[in-house]
Amino acid sequence: MGRTMRLARTVALVAVLAVTAFVVPTSAVQQTEVSLVRIRHAQGVATGGEDVVWILGVGSDARPGQVMTRARGDALQLVGINTRTGAATAIGVPRDSWVAIPGHGREKINSALYFAGPRGMAGAMRNLVGIEPDYVVVTRFPFFEDMVDDIGGITVTNPRRFTDPNLKKEGFARGRIRLGGYDAMAFSRIRYNLPGGDFDRSANQQRTLRGIHARIRAQADVPGFIERGVMTVMAHTDTNASPGELFEIAQAVAQVDPRRITTCVVRGRIGFVGAASVVFPDVAQARRLGREARQDATLRGC
Amino acid sequence: MPRPSPGRVHHAHRARRVVGLALVLLVPFASACQSTSEPSAAPERLSRSDSRASLAFHPESTKVGIHRVHGRLPVARRKAVRTQVGAVVDRWWEAAYLGGSYPRSSFPSAFPGFTDAAEDRARADKALLTNQVAGPRIDSVTARKRAVTLDILAAGRQARAVTAQFVLTFDTTGSRAGTTTVRGRLFLTRKRGVWRVFGYDVAKGAR
Repeated sequence: MGRTMRLARTVALVAVLAVTAFVVPTSAVQQTEVSLVRIRHAQGVATGGEDVVWILGVGSDARPGQVMTRARGDALQLVGINTRTGAATAIGVPRDSWVAIPGHGREKINSALYFAGPRGMAGAMRNLVGIEPDYVVVTRFPFFEDMVDDIGGITVTNPRRFTDPNLKKEGFARGRIRLGGYDAMAFSRIRYNLPGGDFDRSANQQRTLRGIHARIRAQADVPGFIERGVMTVMAHTDTNASPGELFEIAQAVAQVDPRRITTCVVRGRIGFVGAASVVFPDVAQARRLGREARQDATLRGC
Repeated sequence: MPRPSPGRVHHAHRARRVVGLALVLLVPFASACQSTSEPSAAPERLSRSDSRASLAFHPESTKVGIHRVHGRLPVARRKAVRTQVGAVVDRWWEAAYLGGSYPRSSFPSAFPGFTDAAEDRARADKALLTNQVAGPRIDSVTARKRAVTLDILAAGRQARAVTAQFVLTFDTTGSRAGTTTVRGRLFLTRKRGVWRVFGYDVAKGAR
């Protein structure tokens, strides 16, 4: 009882002090305490070198115990960030795209990682799109889930309801949906009953990237958020970027304007090479996308 | 061993809570350090014959604290980061807001410690990142608050990158008399042993 009284007295005292601080005028001549303060804002990040930084994000399908960079690269997104304008773009490539892999002839692009590692994957992407990425970041699905959980989940805009009997029986609803780590992984991996198959899946990966970006941007000014994110990326990915470079990239990502993000998935037609089902990519379109975005990370169309 | 009475235990708990609260309140001050890059305490005469001449004397020193170190970093290196990054921020503040001879409209070297590319960007934002707009109507500038808080990213027991959250408040005299607050974040990385600013996110307001 005494404790309750003491607590009540303390609360009352704090309240009185707080009200006093705001209400009671100071002695002497009262100066203007409330004024219209015009606050202006500027931000900029320069990562050095070119205005546009190109990063190839690769989702490895490595199983537990497998080396992440010597497995198939199943999610492939070439991301460009224009640090001068705040624009960004993502060019998605279906994993079964039949392309030239440096030193290994023609194969599905997802096998470039298995045959030639991140550098080979970068070469395969250059052969298709015409842009050599500055950095390659490889992660595997469980790590990707952890990273999404670490940033507190994401929100994506899903254009259609879809399900998967193995990864998401109850499916994903149409509209704005909230995804935790596992759901973000499933949303990005499922192609079962997507009308556009691999192409729609790649577009979903880009929706996931937009969700991740929005989350990073919203929290970038929380002290330590970017540093924690970089630590997580360092722990969960294989990349040729140094910690300092990852930090620069993360700050550049945080300053991307969501209204200036453009995305596209390289088209193609389904065919066969021997018994294997492959995608013959529209190389002309891929090159056009590369040409359009190379200088300013902006696509004019898809 | 005599057991303390319940009343004494309660009293002791309360005392500990008070001490704890005091420590929490004190830690930001205790962990702050004074940047060694401060200009000499001696007043510096900035203008020779101008009737509006003023002395640039900034008694308020910069308090640099660490919010958190992400990764492992020995204590001595933490201190070095605090000193070195504090010096970089100080040099910018001196060049862009506090130092020099007022009134003035020219801020030709306002971004020491910035990378070339960041300086290029910053020049386009000079209205905010310096006193250029109000400079011709200012007679003197006096710093009121200079505080920097660091988040340090460390890898391999070395500091690699820093976010420096800062608040700079200064009073101005002249036809543009008032108080200006500049707050925001500077992003720095360490290359070849030198901390350089590669990005910024800054807000500026005056009243």
